[in-house]
Amino acid sequence: MRKIGWFEAVLIVLPIFLTGALLAAIISLFLVPTLAEIWESLLSEEMLFSLKLTMWTSSLSTALVFMVAVPTGYSLSRINFWGKSMVKAIIDLPIAFPELVLGLCLLLLFGNPVLQNFFGRLGFDFVFTKQGIVLAQFFTALPYAVRIIKSTFDYIPPRLEFVSRSLGYSMFETFLKVSLPLAKSGLLAATIIAFARSIGTFGTVLILAGGSYMQTEILPITLYLNISYGNMPMAITSGIILVIVSFIAILIFEKSEASI
Amino acid sequence: MSYLSVENLSINLGEFALKSLNLELDQGDYATIIGPTGSGKSILLECIIGFFTPEKGSIILEGRDIVNDLPEKRGIGIVYQDYALLPHLTVFQNIAYGLRKIKKNIIKGKVEDIAASLKIEHLLNRKPGTLSGGEQQRTALARSLVVNPRLLLMDEPFSALDPGTRKEIRQLLCDVIDKKCTTVIHVTHDMKDLWALADKAAILRQGKIIQCGAVRDVFERPVNKFVADFVGASFWEASVDAKSNGITNLKLGDFNIFSKDNAAQGEIVKVAVRPEEILLYNAPPDNLNGDNLFKTRVEKIKCEGDVWAVSVKIGDTKLLVNSTRNMMSGLYPKPGDTLYARIDTDHVRIVR
Repeated sequence: MRKIGWFEAVLIVLPIFLTGALLAAIISLFLVPTLAEIWESLLSEEMLFSLKLTMWTSSLSTALVFMVAVPTGYSLSRINFWGKSMVKAIIDLPIAFPELVLGLCLLLLFGNPVLQNFFGRLGFDFVFTKQGIVLAQFFTALPYAVRIIKSTFDYIPPRLEFVSRSLGYSMFETFLKVSLPLAKSGLLAATIIAFARSIGTFGTVLILAGGSYMQTEILPITLYLNISYGNMPMAITSGIILVIVSFIAILIFEKSEASI
Repeated sequence: MSYLSVENLSINLGEFALKSLNLELDQGDYATIIGPTGSGKSILLECIIGFFTPEKGSIILEGRDIVNDLPEKRGIGIVYQDYALLPHLTVFQNIAYGLRKIKKNIIKGKVEDIAASLKIEHLLNRKPGTLSGGEQQRTALARSLVVNPRLLLMDEPFSALDPGTRKEIRQLLCDVIDKKCTTVIHVTHDMKDLWALADKAAILRQGKIIQCGAVRDVFERPVNKFVADFVGASFWEASVDAKSNGITNLKLGDFNIFSKDNAAQGEIVKVAVRPEEILLYNAPPDNLNGDNLFKTRVEKIKCEGDVWAVSVKIGDTKLLVNSTRNMMSGLYPKPGDTLYARIDTDHVRIVR
C-alpha cells in the first residue's frame, strides 16, 4: 500500500469529517418527525399556500434575474466602460451583505413615499406585499447569477466573436449565434443557482415583504413562523423541502459546471 | 491609388502600441508582416479588421476610410493561429457561417467547392473538436475565403502545425489565393511562409514599419542593422574609396569590397550581403571574373538541417555564410581553418 504523508492525510480526513458532520445535521432533519407528521404537514393549507407562493415567486424572480444577469454578465465580461470595476463591486455587494441589511436597504428605498407613489401609479407595490417577495428574491439571487454568467462568458474566447463579426454578423447577432449557445451550460447553472437562492431567501423577504401568515409566507418564512409557534413538524417539513430543492439544484449545477 | 492604405495609424494598449504606422498594398498583393514578439503585428491586424479603434490615423480600403466602420461592415476576413472555429457547429456550418441571404443550394455548392479546393470535403459533417490541427486550419481558411473577403488577414496561421502539414497547407493556400486573387496580410515568424507565399514583406519594430517592399528587396537590401539581423544578412557601414568601369570600391574596416551598385566617391553607405550568396573554397579558385575573394578564418559551424551556417572572419569582420550540403562536401571545415570566401560583385548591395 502506498504510504501517505501527514499533510496528505489531513487533506483527505478534513473534507470527509466536514461532509460527515454536515450529512449528520441534514439527516437529523429527516429523523425527528414521523413520516405521517411530514405527510400531514405537507398537505396542510399553510404548507400548500407557502409551497405554491414560493414556487411562483421564485420562478418569477429567477426569470427576472436571468433576463437581467445575462446582458449584465456579458457586459462585465466583454465591454470596458468607465466605472466597470465599481459596478462589479456593487453588484457583488449583496453576496457579502447580511440578507437582513439588504432587506432594510430595499425597504428604505422602495418604502420611500416618492418611489412608492411612482411605482404605485405603474401598479407596483413592493412593501409588505407578494411583489416585495419577488423583488427581495431578485436582489438576493442576482449577484450569484451575474458572477456565474460573467465567468462563463470569460471562458469563451473573444476571437470566436471577432470571427463572427468579421463574417458579417452584428454584435447582437453574434451574441445570439455564438456567445449564447456556447454559454448554455453556464446559463443553466446560473438559473439553477438563482432559483435555489430565491427559494431560500429569508432575511430580505422578511424585512421587505414581511413574514405574514398566509400572506407573504414562503417556505423559509413557514419554517421561521412555525419554529416560533413551536410547531416542529411543520418547520421541519419546510426545512426538508428546502434541503431537497437545494440538493437537486446543486447536483444540476455541478453537472452543468463540469461541462462548461 | 493603393488598394489598401494605412496612414499614420496609432494606438497605445500599454504593452503593445502602433506609432504612426504606414502601409500600402495593391489589389492582389500578398504581404507578410514580420517582426519580433510584441512589435504590434497582431494589433495592426485587429485595428484593420475593426476590433480595436485606433487613436489616430486612417485605414483606406478601395478609396474609402473604414476606420469608423463596424467590423461586420468592412468585408475583411481573419484567420487565427488557434483557428477560432465555432465548436457548436459542424465543419459545413462553420464554412457556410458567413454566407448569408443566399439560397441554400448555392451555399451548398460554394461550401463544397472551397472544401474540395482545401481537401476537406470528407469532413463536412464533423465537429471541429474531432479534427486535427491541419484540418481545423483548412476549415478556418475555407470559412474566410468562401465569402471572398476584400482583404484577408492571417495571424500566424501555421505556427501551431507540424512542418509537413504546414508545407501542405501553404501549397493549398497558395493555389486558392492565386485563383481568387485575394489581397492578403499574413503575420508570420516563419521565413518559409514568406518565401513560399508573399510578394511583399514588411518589417515591424516597436509599432513602426521599418522597411516594406518586395520580398527580395527586403532580404537583399535591408535598410538597417535591425532588418539585416532579422532577415539574416551581413550588414556593414563602408565608405566609397574609388569607382572605375561601373565597379564601386568600398572600404570596409581593414579590407576593400567591390560592388556593381552605384555610389559617389567619398559617400558613406551601408553594404549588405546575403549569407547564401557567398561561396567557400579550400583554395583560391582560378576564374574569379572580378568577384570579391577573401581569405577567412572559420569561427563556428552549425548544421541547420539542409543548410550549414558557417561563421567566418575576414580580419576582425564577421561574415555569415549559408551553404548547402552539396556545396560543403569536400570542404569539411573545422573552427580555426582557413577558407576562401567568394562574393559576386552583383551580390554586394549598397543600401541607402
